[in-house]
Amino acid sequence: MSVYLDYQSSKPVDPRIVEAMLPYFHDKFGNPSSLHAVGDTATEVLESSRAAVAHFIGAESDEIIFTSGATESNNLALIGHALRNKDKGNHIIISEIEHISILNIAKYLEKNGFVVSRVPVDQFGRIAIEKISERVTDKTIMVSIGYANNEIGTIQQMETIGRFCRDKGITFHTDAVAAEGLIPIDVKRDSIDLMALSSNDVYGPQGLGVLYVKKGIRINPLNIGGGQERGLRSGTENIAAIAGMKKAVEIMGAEMATETKRLQQYRNRLIEKVLDLVPRSYLNGHPTLRLPNNAHFRFEGIEGESLLLSFKERDIAVSTGSACSSKTLEPSHTLIALGLLHEEAHGSLQITFGRFNKDSDFETLLETLPQIVKRLRKLSPLYKWEV
Amino acid sequence: MKSTQYSEKVLDHFRKPRNVGTLEGDDVVIGRVGNPVCGDLMEFYVKVKDDRIEDIKFKTFGCGSAIATASMITELAKGKSIDEAFKITRQDVADELDGLPPIKMHCSNLAADALRNALNNYQKKKKPSEPSDTQGGGSREIAGADRFIGNGVFTEITDPSALKDKRVMVMEDGDRSLNIALELTKYTQRVVYVTARKDLPAGNLSDRVAGSKIKILFESEVLEIKGLNTVEKVLIHDLNEDEEYELFVDCIILPARK
Repeated sequence: MSVYLDYQSSKPVDPRIVEAMLPYFHDKFGNPSSLHAVGDTATEVLESSRAAVAHFIGAESDEIIFTSGATESNNLALIGHALRNKDKGNHIIISEIEHISILNIAKYLEKNGFVVSRVPVDQFGRIAIEKISERVTDKTIMVSIGYANNEIGTIQQMETIGRFCRDKGITFHTDAVAAEGLIPIDVKRDSIDLMALSSNDVYGPQGLGVLYVKKGIRINPLNIGGGQERGLRSGTENIAAIAGMKKAVEIMGAEMATETKRLQQYRNRLIEKVLDLVPRSYLNGHPTLRLPNNAHFRFEGIEGESLLLSFKERDIAVSTGSACSSKTLEPSHTLIALGLLHEEAHGSLQITFGRFNKDSDFETLLETLPQIVKRLRKLSPLYKWEV
Repeated sequence: MKSTQYSEKVLDHFRKPRNVGTLEGDDVVIGRVGNPVCGDLMEFYVKVKDDRIEDIKFKTFGCGSAIATASMITELAKGKSIDEAFKITRQDVADELDGLPPIKMHCSNLAADALRNALNNYQKKKKPSEPSDTQGGGSREIAGADRFIGNGVFTEITDPSALKDKRVMVMEDGDRSLNIALELTKYTQRVVYVTARKDLPAGNLSDRVAGSKIKILFESEVLEIKGLNTVEKVLIHDLNEDEEYELFVDCIILPARK
């Protein structure tokens, strides 16, 4: 039986959400911009979904913009804000461990006249407020820090960073995709000005994202057209997905507390067992301040792609930060930022899980992992200890 | 093709690699290519008799295709004359495996190079050998060291508990530095020891360090210390590969000033 432990890459859509979407493909197919009754039906679900998403993060309805996904939300937030506010300054602060979309948007902004500072993290992936503070200049217009890291699961001190930015009058953006549905997010408590979310990360369909734009925060649109979403994101709305997102946040709102408790138990047991069963194995990320569904390890002397391939042969889907499994052939920038050497980053294993995992998935993993590591270490010229 | 979409033959060699291990003896030459930085490292042990490869074994750190290509070339090379073995190309290895994913053709198809490296070493061995010497410790100036004194750069540690949970780099300075490194493991999980040597000097202290979780960077030197107001990273020079790379650390302990 196949085991899926790569929820960070993609989550299965909850069947209850699929059901909630179905009417909007044929029976209620309208365009919210139409003034007839069919259009009204679409408007209804669009606005009630907006309200549901707002409620989920402690925002107001008119602060929610639907997009095609979190990457688009990040683009709209960073580029849209930078263009709109370039008279105030040209300096943006991000961290060394941001999601690839933020890193590449930052590079794009640098090519277009903006200056970007990258804040280093500690060995657990946490960002110290002093490291942000010492980089602020009078040209700083925005700080963008991921709510939690998508690879190692470390959660940042958002409330502190948010308060700092608010006091300095700097716009605070966060990519909250890795954290959404796993820890409670409140944009007011954390003084967040812009926040990217995705539908799939709360078990909704792919291809839908959200940008929270706090009242008073000015951004330029990047998609120009019919003026949908308050003119910030033109293009006919993806109504079926928006209906799915509504159901997704409703379910999450009701079930998150019990669900995360269950995931946390899996996580704690998994970490304890793996470190115990495999000699010279290490946990990457923070021991406690980490997402409830994330366990990230490294094993001395072996390489991640061959580890993944070994799991694939046993029908187990997991992930790694090894260069050999990436398009760029570079190891994970997040693991390097933790202070790991390339060879250590290569030997990493990322396990993320969620709503549909069962006890047996973890049992299978724990039975398999030590054998696989042992076999690869026997082949390895780098493992100098007894296998 | 995705990086892990391999042919059945690659998978077969990955699952059951042939000729894994090492060989010892006067008639054994060793070939090595790649480095752990790029993600692939291969070592070949070749036993030569009358200019013919009598036996060959390998060890590999790397991805699926690194393991499969190393395994395949041992089969291709065994029994061949030195001249014949020299002619085995990367393409031959890939062809014998029914192809490799395009992205893997360069990075993980090092087996032919590693074998040639061993064969070259065999031919060098036949000629009178030149003594190869490794550079000693060397007391090169480290750029930035003075700027961060007290802000992450230390020459001595009076209170190791102040470095709790910090990423500490300790530079080689004989027993003193080994002792410091060991002491620090009580306070932080991350201690990196840098030495220009190939091995630690024999002794009880070295054994304890080797058995600990201290990360040792052999044949390496620190070129530069970087950061904004405090130490944030160091530039390391890998003397063996002649490569430079950055490593994130919070503090660095220099050798005692003489």
